[in-house]
Amino acid sequence: MPSWLPPLGMLLRCAAVLAVVAIVGGFLTIWSGFYSVAASRGHWPGFELVLEFAMRSSVRTHALLIQVPQIDRPEQARRGAGHFQQACAPCHGSPAGPSMLVARSMLPPPSDLKDLVPTWKTRELFWIVKNGLKYTGMPTWPTQQRDDEVWDTVAFLRELPAMSRERYRELAGFAATDEAPSRTPDEARLASCARCHGDDGRGRDTTAFPRLDIQTAPYLLDQLKAYANGTRASGFMQAATAELSAREMAWLAEHYAKARPAAAAPPLEADSLRRQGEALFRSGAPEQGVPACAACHGAKAADRDLRYPALLGQYASHTKTQLELFKQGARNTTEAAPLMTTIAQRMTDEQVRAVAAYLAAEPAR
Amino acid sequence: MQSVLAPHGPEAAAVARLGWAMFAGGALICLALVVLVFLAIRGGAGSRRVIASERFLIWSGIFVPVVVLAGLLSWGLVLTGARIAPPSPGALQIEVIGEQWWWRVRYGTEAAQKFETANELRIPVGRDVELTLVSRDVIHSFWVPSLAGKVDMIPGMTNRLRLHATEAGIFRGQCAEYCGGPHALMSFHVVALEVDAFEAWLAAQRRPAEAPATDQSVFFSTGCHGCHTVRGTNAVGTIGPDLTHVAGRLSLGAATLPTGAVNFGRWVRENQHLKPGNRMPSFGFLSAGEVDRLATYLDGLK
Repeated sequence: MPSWLPPLGMLLRCAAVLAVVAIVGGFLTIWSGFYSVAASRGHWPGFELVLEFAMRSSVRTHALLIQVPQIDRPEQARRGAGHFQQACAPCHGSPAGPSMLVARSMLPPPSDLKDLVPTWKTRELFWIVKNGLKYTGMPTWPTQQRDDEVWDTVAFLRELPAMSRERYRELAGFAATDEAPSRTPDEARLASCARCHGDDGRGRDTTAFPRLDIQTAPYLLDQLKAYANGTRASGFMQAATAELSAREMAWLAEHYAKARPAAAAPPLEADSLRRQGEALFRSGAPEQGVPACAACHGAKAADRDLRYPALLGQYASHTKTQLELFKQGARNTTEAAPLMTTIAQRMTDEQVRAVAAYLAAEPAR
Repeated sequence: MQSVLAPHGPEAAAVARLGWAMFAGGALICLALVVLVFLAIRGGAGSRRVIASERFLIWSGIFVPVVVLAGLLSWGLVLTGARIAPPSPGALQIEVIGEQWWWRVRYGTEAAQKFETANELRIPVGRDVELTLVSRDVIHSFWVPSLAGKVDMIPGMTNRLRLHATEAGIFRGQCAEYCGGPHALMSFHVVALEVDAFEAWLAAQRRPAEAPATDQSVFFSTGCHGCHTVRGTNAVGTIGPDLTHVAGRLSLGAATLPTGAVNFGRWVRENQHLKPGNRMPSFGFLSAGEVDRLATYLDGLK
């Protein structure tokens, strides 16, 4: 050690004293309350840059290992748009209108996503949407159990910067809420469901949303309750059902169950995938321990356990997503779900695609 | 109920004889060793010289073991060879299929007389029974200690085993080769019946289920028929055990529980608790009333 330095013991003592002074001083500064947490005052000059730097660095690092799945199917952005209008647009605004004034008065104010989205990588957007951002008011996704809906939202966000007002209004189903104001409160509720599901539960002539018209009212009501109390995980539907009263749920279930299933579509040419799906539906795959789907889902509502959904006529994308969630165990939360989890986990990916294709081509019963 | 030391048929008796011979021989050898050790430590100089000699080592260390082991091997080969000899004419044929974690049992050779049951073999006293043993998934091992030695069930192979019960009784058997999760709960019963009782049982088994006096709707609405067969109804599933006469069996869940309405209900609701990992999901969501109706229906399938 050079001779001009004080002895080591003295250096350590000085450091200890300085540390105590810093801790006590810091505590007194905070305790005094002179630092203002007022959003109206903004941040100290330069502090915002530090926060921004920390946030960007954190997102970059945490998103590093996320694998981006396919997100360019049109139905994905459509589902994302439906949710965006309900859950994101109030704070972030949308191509159809500005955000709420109250939201714009937050610190930091929610960003205009048109400018911001292009500055993030796709996997980073996913991470932000799924996890939210501390100290900014950006909430976490309502469930951490499934990622497909978050990717739907990211698919929409990727399109957002270049999206026209008309395209946004069409995607988010504005036609359903634009109609004449002379409605009962129940009909007004229905309108917000209908933005995605259509008034008849068939998803506005798209296959992006599950068909509700093929289900019975008790089944729909059970699912609405399961979404509302969080036992069935879905960021989209938990957000949509959280504020429904029991009476409104019953009314909506009745409404969609009453909708007449569409007239049978002209039968499609049976390709080999659908034939495989039909065999699975009717006879199962006993050698894999997969029973016939028809045993539980095939009968008319009168002979079926109403806790089991109808499947004939269901859109392929929905069947496929749900079976994949069952396989992952992400749907193993409602009371009858362990049955289907057991079965789905014995199915191959090809069988999932086959049965989804078969069901979509069948007329509902 | 399940012991190699209590044989109830010639096959098991032969195995037991071999076992006793081994125990007795083992005891003799053990005794001889104790004596030798004693002599080596406390014996006189003469006996110690003999024990230390090369000639003694060659005779007792090489010659005696070769003779004893060769004798045991030939005995074992003759014993198992007799077991896999061609079936005697008039032997009753039964096919047993090991599946995770239960036994599928098929009777009958002609189409009209064929039927399937599970986890229970009924055999006539005094008649040879020829078992065909196969596996559908992993290696299992069929073992009824009181009636015969154990034989592995190996995927892709067909093994045979002859049983012959000399008296009526219930003999427990079990899977004797670890086959995954609930292996310990993969047991079964062999019920040896006097010939008349056996013929009556056989005739009853061949009949389809009688029309139930009680409500069978829960069985079909909840999808039990996706996996189970009840002959005489629309239930034609082949994944799980045939339930046509399930209530007439001694046990369910491969000898996990005795049959009876209460246990049918418990099995339906909480089989994953009773036999964790078995291939049937629990129907815990059924209401108490539904479980009662279903259990009553199953208990009527005599």
